[in-house]
Amino acid sequence: MLATVNAATLHGVCGHLVRVEVHVANGLPAFTVVGLPDASCREARDRVRAALVSSGLSWPARRITVNLAPTGIPKAGSVLDLAMAVGLLVACEEIEPESIADLAFLGELGLDGSIRPVSGVLPLVDAVEAFGVVVAPGNQSEASLIATQRVLGVGDLRTLVRALRQEAPWPAPEVVPTRAEPVEGPDLSDVRGQRIVRFALEVAAAGAHHILLVGPPGSGKSMLARRLPGVLPDLDPADALEATRIRSAAGEDLPPGGLNLRPPWRAPHHGSSAAALVGGGSRTMRPGEVSLAHGGVLFLDELGEFAPSVLDMLRQPLEDGTVRVSRSGGFAEYPARVLLIAAMNPCPCGGSAAPGGCRCPAAVRARYVRRISGPLLDRFDLRVGVHRPEPSDLLSGEAGESTAEVASRIRLARRRAADRGVRANSELSSRALEAAAPLAPRAVRLLEAELHAGRLSARGLQRVRAVALTMSDLAGRDVPLDSDLVDTALGLRIDPFRSEGFDVR
Amino acid sequence: MSGEERSEPDRDRIHDAYVAALLGLPGMGPARARSLLVDRSPLEVWRGIARGRVPKETEALLGARRSEVIGGWRAAAAVIDPERLLVRMEEMGMRVSRPGQAGYPTQLVEDPDPPVAFFTVGTDLLVGGLPRVAVVGTRRCSGYGTDVAIQLGRDLAAAGVVVVSGLALGIDAAAHGGALAVTDGAPPLGVVGTGLDVVYPAANRALWRRVASTGQLVSEMPPGAGPTRWCFPARNRIIAALAHVLVVVESHAGGGSMHTVTAALERDRPILAVPGPIRSPASEGSNRLLAEGAAPACGVDDVICALSLVGQSPGSATPREVPSPVDLPGVPADPVDGTVLEAMGWSPISPDALAERCRLGPVELGAAVARLRRSGLVIETRGFLERRSGSVG
Repeated sequence: MLATVNAATLHGVCGHLVRVEVHVANGLPAFTVVGLPDASCREARDRVRAALVSSGLSWPARRITVNLAPTGIPKAGSVLDLAMAVGLLVACEEIEPESIADLAFLGELGLDGSIRPVSGVLPLVDAVEAFGVVVAPGNQSEASLIATQRVLGVGDLRTLVRALRQEAPWPAPEVVPTRAEPVEGPDLSDVRGQRIVRFALEVAAAGAHHILLVGPPGSGKSMLARRLPGVLPDLDPADALEATRIRSAAGEDLPPGGLNLRPPWRAPHHGSSAAALVGGGSRTMRPGEVSLAHGGVLFLDELGEFAPSVLDMLRQPLEDGTVRVSRSGGFAEYPARVLLIAAMNPCPCGGSAAPGGCRCPAAVRARYVRRISGPLLDRFDLRVGVHRPEPSDLLSGEAGESTAEVASRIRLARRRAADRGVRANSELSSRALEAAAPLAPRAVRLLEAELHAGRLSARGLQRVRAVALTMSDLAGRDVPLDSDLVDTALGLRIDPFRSEGFDVR
Repeated sequence: MSGEERSEPDRDRIHDAYVAALLGLPGMGPARARSLLVDRSPLEVWRGIARGRVPKETEALLGARRSEVIGGWRAAAAVIDPERLLVRMEEMGMRVSRPGQAGYPTQLVEDPDPPVAFFTVGTDLLVGGLPRVAVVGTRRCSGYGTDVAIQLGRDLAAAGVVVVSGLALGIDAAAHGGALAVTDGAPPLGVVGTGLDVVYPAANRALWRRVASTGQLVSEMPPGAGPTRWCFPARNRIIAALAHVLVVVESHAGGGSMHTVTAALERDRPILAVPGPIRSPASEGSNRLLAEGAAPACGVDDVICALSLVGQSPGSATPREVPSPVDLPGVPADPVDGTVLEAMGWSPISPDALAERCRLGPVELGAAVARLRRSGLVIETRGFLERRSGSVG
């Protein structure tokens, strides 16, 4: 007797349809799982047996073979438990084959027969071709986010069997909250002084320009960075779904409303490995931090302490917006469009950045800075120094603008970018930029001088132009871009490690 | 070869070469060299070392690792050819003077820790009657320190005072840069810690060459000697010994300039310090000197006054008007720039604090700062902005 059940497995952030074939034949009692199951998948044998027995169902003392088709793809995890159990019941003629024909089953079994939630249910549901999907109640709201199918949440195997035999109705779905209240993050009004850095953050958020903050410890770099996601607009539906899908695939908790509507915020530790940052892993591939931050903010604190090789892995994702990880078991492609904000000290001593305030010899400082490769540094459209605020600002300075005020300006700027057909100005191609951001004659002369002096590369020129355009959008000004915008954009692109100074030669 | 058969000046040159060779041995400092050369000619000592023999008093100085050191000397002596060294010194136009010889500076004769030889190139500034002022300070200086050092160097040279400095980065370089900016001022005197043919730091190569061609470079290290940990404090004592007055422009609390100050105190040289902002780390040491009794140096007049107190008067009584070495416009073109400059003050300021002070929008301020930087009135150092003075002094 043979039964075929629909299920799915996770590969990268994508689900793949899996047909679980269960064959029960005469012979010595055995239970074999074939079709590239990994260790946790093979352990399903014991969970399925215990679950069936605990649910008061019979266990056939016969030769059971389970095949997971297509057999070429490695299957990981416990998501196929439920499908195997159902297949076995059909093969043993406990359930009619017709009753499961239009259904798919995604869930892990407990030894007591309970059906448990699995991670990545969103992409899994997306992959199955069936009229309805049976999942654990804990997965129901997540599965319902995109499902064109009917999502059935069932708590245990006994209830499922009764529903399939049409002895009892399907359990009522849990009440899903329609939309979660936005979580209140830290507010920008807490920041005293720091006008230029705040402005740079605003420009970064409005144009999705990567930003590097350089300053001594205690200058408020992390505090400022944490306030960046708050000013970003909500994700559009497609992005929200994609962000949710990645989170789901990584097995992370979803926000209460289900969909990931707010831009994500990820701050990996500087000890992170390359696989943790860009994704991968040896057998089961997992999205990295840069993908988990997709559509939102990736914050790299202490940039200088990250392994240089790990940092350079970020260059390609930052450029393309996707990560492609290849392993012997196949490859996975993860979306990775992030707004990168990084913070670092100007030198290892952590002293004041004020002239004469650092105790590091020039060679030590140079070595510290060399950890950040030139091409990576070049990816930062905005590079600003953060300085410890003046005592007078801390004590009597008036509160700065609130997150809400800044966010409203950013929404307007993003709307202008949307008119140009992109989400934000940093995505403009050089040709589109040429059309969208004409330069006033004075600004042209200025940039020519910078190019001739060798202070600006061709790529840098494009970035400066895009930043100037974002500033113009924020101020509600019209093109052509005048020299003051270009000057300010150049001023927010400092080389924070070099001193201009006066050299006597 | 036997030096005994040569004529008197020739023999002197040969001895010079052997002194240079001795000083070039590994681990050879002024004290060890002095003990070797007591009542012995350099040639004798060299021959002894080549056979692994050193005088008793030197052995006593060497301590526990003496056989190791002497072995090292012996090995090096087998490789070094004093004759070749002599040729090299003559090519460079380098002169050597040893204690007891005519060219040896009188200040060093009575010094508690005199060099055993004194290598020099350029015009001899130590025999003329020109007063000498050491202008020293930190390598990690602020724009303020650079400005003041340039100003002092320039005004002192214009007043006919030899500016003595260590040719390090920062204040030292700025002081000499200022002195060289005066067309017919007093020539500068550079005291260096390496051999005269080893330019250190390399960034100062051009300055080094200019000082050597217009003024004088001196060192107690033989040709070929590279920088070591101890050679800079040792150089500082020579700066203190050769100068009549010491001016510290900017120094950190534990900075190298403090060695020069200690050496100057041992030699009874008057010490002046340039007052700096109390919040500037680069002025911490110099301000402490003021608190401890150093005279303030607020301009060239203070320094000249201190010189006259030790019986030195510069060639020209009043400093002449000289053009600024930095060519800066007096007033900025744009009125907004004037406001920004006004708000900036004279200490390094972060753009954030500047924005707070002058109440301008970020774009307006960014444009103004860019204009000011282009005109040279403002410089940026590691993210900080600092005003440069157009007409210093």
